[in-house]
Amino acid sequence: MEEDIIDYALEYARGKGVEYAEVRGLSQVEERMMLRNGILEAYLSAVDSGFCVRIIADGGIGFASSNKWAREEVREIVDLAFRYAKNANRKDKIKFAEEKGVKTKWVVDQKEKIEDVSPEDKIAKLVNINQSLSSCGVNIPAIMTACMINLTSKYYVNSEGSRISSFVPKIGAYIFITVAEQGKTEQAYEQFGYSGGWEAFQKWGITEKLIHNAKILKNVIMKGKAVKAGTMDLVCGPEVTGIAAHESCGHPMEADRILGREMSQAGKSFIFEGGPFWIGSRIGSDVVTIVDDPTIEHSYGYYAFDDEGVKARRRFLYKNGIINEFLHNRESAARLGARSNGSSRSVNYDREAIVRMANTFVISGDMTEEELIEDVKYGVYMKSFTEWNIDDKRFNQRYVGREAYLIENGELKHPIARPVIETTTLKFWSAVDAVSEKVEFDAATCGKGDPAQGIPVYTGGPCIRLRGVYVK
Amino acid sequence: MNDVLGKTEEVVKKAKALGADGVIAKTTFGRYRQVRFSNNQIDITVAWNDHVTDVALAWKKRLVATQIRDFKDVDANLKRLFDLAKVSKENPMFGGFAKGNFRYTKSKADEKLRELENMTDYVSEAINAAKKEAGSQIDSGGILFTKFEDIYLVSSEGPIGTDSRSAIELSIRVFSEREASGHGVECSSSLKDFKPARAGAKAGEIAVLAKNPKVGDEGVYDIIFDPLIFGSLLSVWGGMASAFNVMVQQSVFVNKLGEKVAPEVVSLRDNPAAYSMANRIFDDEGVPTRENVFIEHGVLKTYLHNTSTAKIFKTETTANAGLVAPNPWSIEMDNGDISKNELFEEMKKGLYLTNTWYTRFQNYAKGDFSTIPRDGIFLIEKGEVKQSLKDIRISDNILSMLGNIAGISKERQQVHWWGEVSRPCLAPYVLIKNVHITKSK
Repeated sequence: MEEDIIDYALEYARGKGVEYAEVRGLSQVEERMMLRNGILEAYLSAVDSGFCVRIIADGGIGFASSNKWAREEVREIVDLAFRYAKNANRKDKIKFAEEKGVKTKWVVDQKEKIEDVSPEDKIAKLVNINQSLSSCGVNIPAIMTACMINLTSKYYVNSEGSRISSFVPKIGAYIFITVAEQGKTEQAYEQFGYSGGWEAFQKWGITEKLIHNAKILKNVIMKGKAVKAGTMDLVCGPEVTGIAAHESCGHPMEADRILGREMSQAGKSFIFEGGPFWIGSRIGSDVVTIVDDPTIEHSYGYYAFDDEGVKARRRFLYKNGIINEFLHNRESAARLGARSNGSSRSVNYDREAIVRMANTFVISGDMTEEELIEDVKYGVYMKSFTEWNIDDKRFNQRYVGREAYLIENGELKHPIARPVIETTTLKFWSAVDAVSEKVEFDAATCGKGDPAQGIPVYTGGPCIRLRGVYVK
Repeated sequence: MNDVLGKTEEVVKKAKALGADGVIAKTTFGRYRQVRFSNNQIDITVAWNDHVTDVALAWKKRLVATQIRDFKDVDANLKRLFDLAKVSKENPMFGGFAKGNFRYTKSKADEKLRELENMTDYVSEAINAAKKEAGSQIDSGGILFTKFEDIYLVSSEGPIGTDSRSAIELSIRVFSEREASGHGVECSSSLKDFKPARAGAKAGEIAVLAKNPKVGDEGVYDIIFDPLIFGSLLSVWGGMASAFNVMVQQSVFVNKLGEKVAPEVVSLRDNPAAYSMANRIFDDEGVPTRENVFIEHGVLKTYLHNTSTAKIFKTETTANAGLVAPNPWSIEMDNGDISKNELFEEMKKGLYLTNTWYTRFQNYAKGDFSTIPRDGIFLIEKGEVKQSLKDIRISDNILSMLGNIAGISKERQQVHWWGEVSRPCLAPYVLIKNVHITKSK
């Protein structure tokens, strides 16, 4: 990455008399490995680098990017962004919420530097995981494994004096397995993510987790029974709690959605000004507090400053069941009379930064998982999920259990095959009466933006107990 | 142009000189533009210029790849790549790259899209058409996207060629009320055939019909699918026809070659022809692209292949090569013999769905899934819209739905949309019987 080119781009943009300009340069060292049934299909290794310019002029925004590091290209790109901003012709002029310029550098530490691990060792790690899985006593006709490594160096400058450098190494892994027994199949997808070094693999415990999944799927095929549909209690494991927090709290609290900026893609939100839900409205029970926090060290969604140079901090989205604080970037904050809370993220130099989650999770309570279950006469424990979705106003959602058990008189019984909860955000969070003490996280890639910007996040939480919900 | 092709060829020669068994280099000069709008105003206009050479290198059945963004860096990149190949693991299933000296048809990319800069007029045209249908108080949002790519491909196995690929797309969602919306898309490879007002008018028309929706009821329905939502299903079936997805059990078509998977009236093909937003004259191995009928009169005839998967399945490539996995480019459903209007007139009671989102599977091999209709959900009685509905979900099986197709219109539309219609599709209006609908409780 050529920082002098970025500085030059900013100076050139400022010379045009713009209201605001920023330049973001990125260099990403990427490695991707893909294995099918333990065989390495391909190993990709590349360096991608480029810069983007975002300009506000006459109340419009223009954005242009290039991967050509040359001053002539810089002038063309800045001219283009400036022209686009001027041509927007908006009635409502875009402004950014106020922020002070920041000069800083931040990095994510690696205990075991990814750069020091040889390609052979990286491949061997994945092959070994596959071998352990293949010999775990479960018939697994298909295993897809992918590993992505991304070392991102960024240099961000803006016309308000910000100058921020950062370096973030990230590792992600995806494993998709199909278990076949007695002519039936079940499938599971598991994702892992970490900001840091190669020590990620030790922390994840992939092999143990995948063998557990394989045995669970076999168990579901062999012993799983359908649940008799009806109103009952439901205990959600951390994985289910986490996806529900992400989908029915994090997304509807994104201020750009609330303002309609994503209306033709990911949609709007059930939260809107003048509607039944706004800041201060009740959306869940007292025990429900959901936060989004980018500052969890080594989390998949970690960052210290967002892509508008705003310092990251924890955001209390739903607080004791009340809608509390939206996720903002500087544009949405200005429109709603707030301050940015550092939620602006972009996946690369060629994508605009938009409002995103980081690590969204339910805050822990004071009960144990066993205590939650002990107090259920009849219900289901949905430990993990397979199919899930939610409507584009983030109100009607559905989670289908992957590992689930019947609860009778406070005890776990036989596996339940694919139990389904299909309910509204209000009913789901209002039904929660107890929260366990141990928070667990899962890595995920959150989808949003056009063009799509899949961004690393954690979802998470403790076990939660829902009283009297309809399960089928 | 020849200079770039020469430099791309140089990459291949240098990689061969290092000892590679096979090399493909593909240089793309991409120029992409997008206008995003919401609340009837432009939010941002975006430009991306991207120059990249994708290199795939094979050595002793090891496949490695890289991207080179500056021809000055070729030597260092190739050395690093070849070193990586030496320590990589053998893939016994790797079947090499396609061999041959092919003749390609001439690219029909629209040169006007190479230079197009002023795109805001097209957005205004769509918004104004929507307002004409639904009134000036509407809230509309969407994107206008243009693409122009110059492609230079050289393979050590013979193929060498240049291609230009152009596309333009407008997507608009119109709200007539908070919970009443319509969505329209206009997709083309050329400006000449691009009519953004059509998308705006359709979105506006649906948004008006969608007013005052009631929560729909659970049950089993006959459903007419608009081309936009049917494109979502075609995208799924097309993706599941990829031989790679079959091999990894992410397909309902595993072990079904030669079997009847749909009624006689259903024929699906992959065809990246000149009209398509995904137009191309060769695949990523340099094999000339062609029409591939993968479901013919209801029978699964072939999977979609690259050279490696074709060898595994003891057949020939269908020119669907991506670097690792074969992919469909542009999916078409053959048109039926009744008009859209007749399809509606013949429906005594059922639903008409126009768009969907968030399609997710419990099990790809079985096909159990759900998806959430949006932007105009209508109860139809005696051919007429009886009531606008909301808050329902299709919870069904993707293979059963293919088997339950009962009517296909003559009219077809090219559709592509963020998220759900992930690849361009030429889709008709389609009647599917006995579709399961669920809702929140």
